[in-house]
Amino acid sequence: MDFTRDALLDVYRRMRTIRSFEEKLHELVAAGKVGGFMHLYAGQEAIAVGVCSQLSDDDQVGSTHRGHGHCIAKGVDVAAMMAELFGRTTGTNRGKGGSMHIADVEKGMLGANGIVGGGIPLVTGAALTAQVKGQPHVAVGFFGDGATNQGQFHESLTMASNWKLPAVYVCENNGFGEFTPTEFVVPVKDIADRAASYGMRAVIADGMDFFDVYEKAGEAIALARAGEGPTLLECKTYRFYGHYVGDATPYRNKEEAEDWIQNRDPLDLFESRATESGVIDRDALRLIDGEVAERLRVAVESAEAAPLPEPGDLLTDVYVRYE
Amino acid sequence: MTRELSTGAAINEAIAIAMRSDPDVILMGEDVAGGGDRSKEGTEEMGGVLGTTRGLVGEFGMNRVRDTPIAEMGLIGTAVGAAATGLRPIAELMFMDFLGTSLDPLLNQAAKLRYMFGGKVKVPLTVRTVCGAGMQAAAQHSQSLYWMTTGIPGLKTVIPSNPADAKGLLLASIRDDDPVIFCEPKGILNQTRPVPEGDYEVPLGKANLVREGGDVSLVGFGATVGVALKAADALAGAGTSAEVLDLRSLSPLDEGAILATLEKTGRMVIIDESTPRCSIARDVAALCVDRGFDFLNAPVKCVTAPHTPVPFSGVLERAFLPSAQDVLDAVGEMG
Amino acid sequence: MPKLGMTMEEGTVVRWEFEVGARIEKGNVVLVIESEKNEADIEAAASGTFRHVYVAEGDTVPCGTLLGAITATADEVFESDDFHAAEDRPEAKPSGGLEVRTAATRTSPSPAASHETRATPIAPAARAAAKKLGLDPQQVRGTGPGGRVTKQDVEAHAAAREALTPVADGVALEVVSGGSGETVVLLPGLGTDVSAFARQAPVLLERFRVVGVNPRGVGHSDAPEAADYPVEQTASDAAATFEGAAHVIGASLGAAAALELALRFPDRVKSLTLITPFVESNPRLLAVTDAWQRLAAEATGETLAAALLPWFFSPGFLADTAVRARTLRGLAQTLARVPASTLERMVAGLAAWSGTRTSDLSQVAVRTLVISAGDDLLTPGAGALASAIPGASLVEVAGAGHAVALEAPEAVNGAILKHLS
Repeated sequence: MDFTRDALLDVYRRMRTIRSFEEKLHELVAAGKVGGFMHLYAGQEAIAVGVCSQLSDDDQVGSTHRGHGHCIAKGVDVAAMMAELFGRTTGTNRGKGGSMHIADVEKGMLGANGIVGGGIPLVTGAALTAQVKGQPHVAVGFFGDGATNQGQFHESLTMASNWKLPAVYVCENNGFGEFTPTEFVVPVKDIADRAASYGMRAVIADGMDFFDVYEKAGEAIALARAGEGPTLLECKTYRFYGHYVGDATPYRNKEEAEDWIQNRDPLDLFESRATESGVIDRDALRLIDGEVAERLRVAVESAEAAPLPEPGDLLTDVYVRYE
Repeated sequence: MTRELSTGAAINEAIAIAMRSDPDVILMGEDVAGGGDRSKEGTEEMGGVLGTTRGLVGEFGMNRVRDTPIAEMGLIGTAVGAAATGLRPIAELMFMDFLGTSLDPLLNQAAKLRYMFGGKVKVPLTVRTVCGAGMQAAAQHSQSLYWMTTGIPGLKTVIPSNPADAKGLLLASIRDDDPVIFCEPKGILNQTRPVPEGDYEVPLGKANLVREGGDVSLVGFGATVGVALKAADALAGAGTSAEVLDLRSLSPLDEGAILATLEKTGRMVIIDESTPRCSIARDVAALCVDRGFDFLNAPVKCVTAPHTPVPFSGVLERAFLPSAQDVLDAVGEMG
Repeated sequence: MPKLGMTMEEGTVVRWEFEVGARIEKGNVVLVIESEKNEADIEAAASGTFRHVYVAEGDTVPCGTLLGAITATADEVFESDDFHAAEDRPEAKPSGGLEVRTAATRTSPSPAASHETRATPIAPAARAAAKKLGLDPQQVRGTGPGGRVTKQDVEAHAAAREALTPVADGVALEVVSGGSGETVVLLPGLGTDVSAFARQAPVLLERFRVVGVNPRGVGHSDAPEAADYPVEQTASDAAATFEGAAHVIGASLGAAAALELALRFPDRVKSLTLITPFVESNPRLLAVTDAWQRLAAEATGETLAAALLPWFFSPGFLADTAVRARTLRGLAQTLARVPASTLERMVAGLAAWSGTRTSDLSQVAVRTLVISAGDDLLTPGAGALASAIPGASLVEVAGAGHAVALEAPEAVNGAILKHLS
């Protein structure tokens, strides 16, 4: 794969933005400044960016309760996301959705989703729209290992296979479905094994390695766009925080967690690979770290100053037309 | 001069008109084309379990008329996603009883996406579904679950009582930009009545005063409008003039029409095919007591099915369904 | 103090792992807290020098409370109070702050406020109509199930009331009148209405102007709240229904009122006719009226009529089953026009009046006719009464019961016509 210097810097910027955004949120929630259920994506950045960097605004993406990473990777405005988490009217969802529902349909982000597996049929529907209308678009669904046990998963992949829809189903297998280890509830060794039941193509990628995800996702996306049907792409990964902010993860082996966090951080891996080729140097990356931190600081500041919704906003946007 | 059509045929006509006028309208569901791959020689399309959608795949092709697997959550959820991204799908939920297997995409996605996204998306989805008893289809294929969808903010629920309204209400539902549950009561599917030609809409949220009277208001919808009219005839013979109101739209609800008829007669019977708890009948009755208290000259009577599953045996099913005699008994009891 | 979960409200500092002045690296466990019996390690968010402890071990504070401070360098300026003021954000406990709202102005009295002496229900539409017409819905007889007062009942009552005759302040009575000539006033007995004179009316109407007065609480007449309806009041009410002087005819308790009228307003009474009268109640009369009252509160019109029939009519009359059935139905309809509350008040008035006029009979200065019934079980002393009134004539109808006017109309009518001429 050939990456230009700018492309590599852009990838790094996206991944760093996700990581810093999640870390900042962890602080904000712990300090009680932001409310609601928060599910952090730190550790899985290579997957969101590896896939979404190859999609346009016309390609729709479906997500999960752990959706901040997909939103940022898809180009949703970070300041608007922060404002949404603070419940302000300047938020992506005008303060009506919160963390689990952040969306920007114009950027092709069909929304984070509070129902495990709930985004998968929506993505299948987006792929159906593209097929019916003859558009060269692709729909990509992100979901976790736990979601592959949901009926909605099976039914959607069945339909996508029957109709050869232009879809890519990306499973982020981080080893845990909430507090339960994957191997305890998924009877197959690799989620990718499930694709066989739908006659669907399946590939496994190292979810901590941006370049591996990028290559395998690229193949799947190209095939879908060419009308060759959907692919199930399983990315092995690990979530650095708990299931939600406040989860002290007593169910996880401390040494195993430390190993992933210290030795397999996708940002570290990317930095090593990217700098060893000599195309970019570490100083450029540190510069980006500083820019991202500043951008987030400004985002928090403007979010805290943004207006809260009025009582009347409670009743709006239920319907397009009120009788 | 209007020709007569059955309710099923009127629905078929509405779908065809909608699909001709807008290329974004598609039809999907179990057996809606009915026959799968039409390229195979010697196979004929079924057009749905009750034949309602026959002929449509022939006119519009397999890109726009799609048989799905028996996977209600998947098919409805896919329809929701398609609606949110530029299509205007008509998805069929074969029997309303299958709300059980398809509720999540309707309850937690279709009903809520617009609100959760701050108004930045719309879901112009229509879910057609057959409801009600009367065909001995037994407990799992005969329920009237419109009270469930009526109670969900973000969804609209409508139910015609005759073929002409079925056609116009379906066209309005398809063209409405919100998710609409269009109920097709078994009790009226084979009813044949005059249906106007051409493209017309019956507005959502507007009840229809089918018969004027001064002594008592009979409020019904779907198959119970016919029951109300039968009771009204009997009452007229005994010197009581009954007014019959066809709700047509359960959400949005024409509260003004309900309160107006109550004000006129002071006495109301609501006839609802579903079971009584949390029913439309009790919802309307509560509205009357809350906002029409001073109009009440007698208790509001709810004539509903009993609090049981739908039985199979014909004699039991007939007893299950509200009858004109039940209405007359209620009128007598209310004083 | 971090908020580790939606429901966490406060936490306890179990143990500080560092002392003030120590060097801390980001990620080190700085303190251990406890909440809801679970301990949690709290990591340092940044590296630096531990400068200040705000909450000691063992103390419990709300989430958001500032626990400690770390500065990047050991010697930079650090004002602990200023820092506390800026960073301490303890969560407020959900406090009261509730505002009780009173109901918007009550436009109609609540059921609890108006003293309902009867349990009959009143439909909301009836209440609203009554309010609009300025009527008390309790005064209206209900024709709905369980005696429910409907809107139509209220409207009928209002229409009937238009035809009422005012007799006292705020009190109007249902007066049935017809015919022309000299005025004859008819006063019915306990618990009945003017239809008690149904067999007299046609005959009288041919020759006289007949005014039948339904007293308070009977038919559409007003039924003002009172402990009793005194006989004197019945008399003065009646006096207000005609001008000048009239022939006054009263039966049973109506005869008591007629007697009062003659004693109080002798110049208003041309002639007095007392049908089965009494001046003192007797044990049987009291027992029958007691039973009557109890039954009226619980039984239907027909049941009540069936119970009273044998007390009003002779065996000879009751022998004819067709007559008995017809009379039962007619009596039931009449009894339905007198609610239990009215009966109560009339009986109380009767009891209060009993014995007060015994010695005044000699004062009656009006030409009097007493008609008694031979088989009268309720007021057998009518004959003796006649001899106490100066110049009174007595006609006894043999074999007839207390309701002699209905049972033996020919004899009664003959006597009356002779007396009035």
